[in-house]
Amino acid sequence: MDTIKRDPRKEFGKAVAELAETDERIVVLSADSGGSAGFKDFAEQHPEKYYEFGIMEQGITGIAAGLATTGKIPVFCAIAPFVTCRPYEMFRNDLGYMKQNVKIVGRNAGFTYSDLGATHHSLEDYAIMRMVPGAVVLAPQDVGEIRSAVKAMMDYNGPVYMRIGNGAIPDLKKEAAFIIGKGEILREGNDLTILSTGSITGEVLCAAALLEDQGISVMVIGLPTVSPIDCEIIKYAAEKTGRIMTVEEHYICGGLGGSVAEVIAQSCPVPLKIHGVPHVYATSGSYEELLRYYKLDAKGIAAVAKDFIA
Amino acid sequence: MDLRMKACDIRTDIVEIIHRAGTGHIGGDLSVTDILVDLYYKQMNVAPDKAADRERDRFVLSKGHSVEALYAVLADRGFFPKEDLLTYAQPGSKYIGHPNNKVNGIEMNTGSLGHGLSVGVGMALAGRMDKKKYRVYVVLGDGEMEEGSVWEAVTAGGHYKLDNLTAFVDRNRLQISGPTEEIMTQDKQEDRWAAFGWNVLSIPGNDIEAVDDAVELAKHIKNKPTVIIANTTKGCGVSFMENQVGWHHRVPTDQEYEQAIQELAQRRMQYAQDSE
Ligand SMILES: [Mg+2]
Repeated sequence: MDTIKRDPRKEFGKAVAELAETDERIVVLSADSGGSAGFKDFAEQHPEKYYEFGIMEQGITGIAAGLATTGKIPVFCAIAPFVTCRPYEMFRNDLGYMKQNVKIVGRNAGFTYSDLGATHHSLEDYAIMRMVPGAVVLAPQDVGEIRSAVKAMMDYNGPVYMRIGNGAIPDLKKEAAFIIGKGEILREGNDLTILSTGSITGEVLCAAALLEDQGISVMVIGLPTVSPIDCEIIKYAAEKTGRIMTVEEHYICGGLGGSVAEVIAQSCPVPLKIHGVPHVYATSGSYEELLRYYKLDAKGIAAVAKDFIA
Repeated sequence: MDLRMKACDIRTDIVEIIHRAGTGHIGGDLSVTDILVDLYYKQMNVAPDKAADRERDRFVLSKGHSVEALYAVLADRGFFPKEDLLTYAQPGSKYIGHPNNKVNGIEMNTGSLGHGLSVGVGMALAGRMDKKKYRVYVVLGDGEMEEGSVWEAVTAGGHYKLDNLTAFVDRNRLQISGPTEEIMTQDKQEDRWAAFGWNVLSIPGNDIEAVDDAVELAKHIKNKPTVIIANTTKGCGVSFMENQVGWHHRVPTDQEYEQAIQELAQRRMQYAQDSE
């Protein structure tokens, strides 16, 4: 669709607050991070469901597990690497191993904190979070999808990691019910399929339009669930277009591309191009500059796709 | 029954479980036994048929390597048949070398140190939110106090004044490679916890009456969580294991096994005579 852009963080906070109006089980935990997660109003309206802990992500992840043992649904949202890399073992043991019903949300993920440098980038979260057995990994692609994914993750009984960005992102499609584990064809095409996840899908759709102008017909499939991956839609794409490219605001190893490669190699071998950030500590700059630098803007993605099918 | 005799029985079971399976953390099992016996036979509101009761007290063994002591207590209290423990440490068995919540009566999966107190803080916070009367008990090792994540939980417990939470430090002054004071200074535990707003009790931790008095006292402390620094002896109850760093994870030979069982039987007889 076109030019409407919205801030994912605010909409995320609002979506949680709306559900908490009717769901007594929802509790929000903050690591000195609530305001930036869009929870300012929620904290004022529901002080009894909002707990500030200061900057202790390991402690909070464990505390969330303890709350969940009693039937609560804790939601913990902070800067992505600080809720994934930092307390990773708490996610693995206290949430994954015990199947606790806790929702971990990494905000300002990918390159959102572009100029703050590599400590604040989150380019490995899909990879490490999907390694935890039973954990669901979500990366909604626009604001409407964030809202419906929030509902789906609350309905799901078990640990979920959701990645969201920060800068305003375009609306890509009509808001619809979110089904965990299901991908969706966002654009039809015959020469190549691009599989995408997270907010970078906006750039992918623009890239597909650019390629169309050059006579290349691209099918775009959104995979807002990174794990469990939608094997069926990947097989369908392999059969239909015979070539697959993945695009993610993430390292080229272990994430969406890695996950898709596992399916393709074993079920439907076709040529595959994994496009994302090379496996290095990334440089800094504005968000738009970084996308250009790593060929993750529409033009860069189109160029990589053209090379791939040449 | 005199709880001291019960503790002898549990220690005997621990030695048997480990000798039979050929694996286990015997030293820490024997130091923590009296705490578990007081909690499970006197203090805690738990029962095999109420393992999911919302009002039950919660127990977290943060020093999860002492799982054989927990298994021995849970089996004896009827949470599962004692014969189940014949499968301990065998492939496919749920009775593995660290606690997991597939076992009836076990609240939390532990094994990696520095996790349990945070989870206990969450359980206690939930109890307060829901106006439940249950209490939460967490047992930590003294080597475990080196983990930074423990102090995040200590900070939060003090900040939220969780008086329904009681932590124990099994202060046996040994860890896997030597005395705690040589590995990393652990002195003044009492001052450390007090500085974070906890009520601190320091007791002889293998004296079951002292344990019971401390747990009882903690129930009446308002607006502060309590930590009980339980000054214990690693390997307590078996003369040649006591205070020996080598018995952290050693398995007794057949001869050592016989001697350990005999010593525990003698000690039990002593208590039986005492209580007549
Ligand atoms: Mg120790």
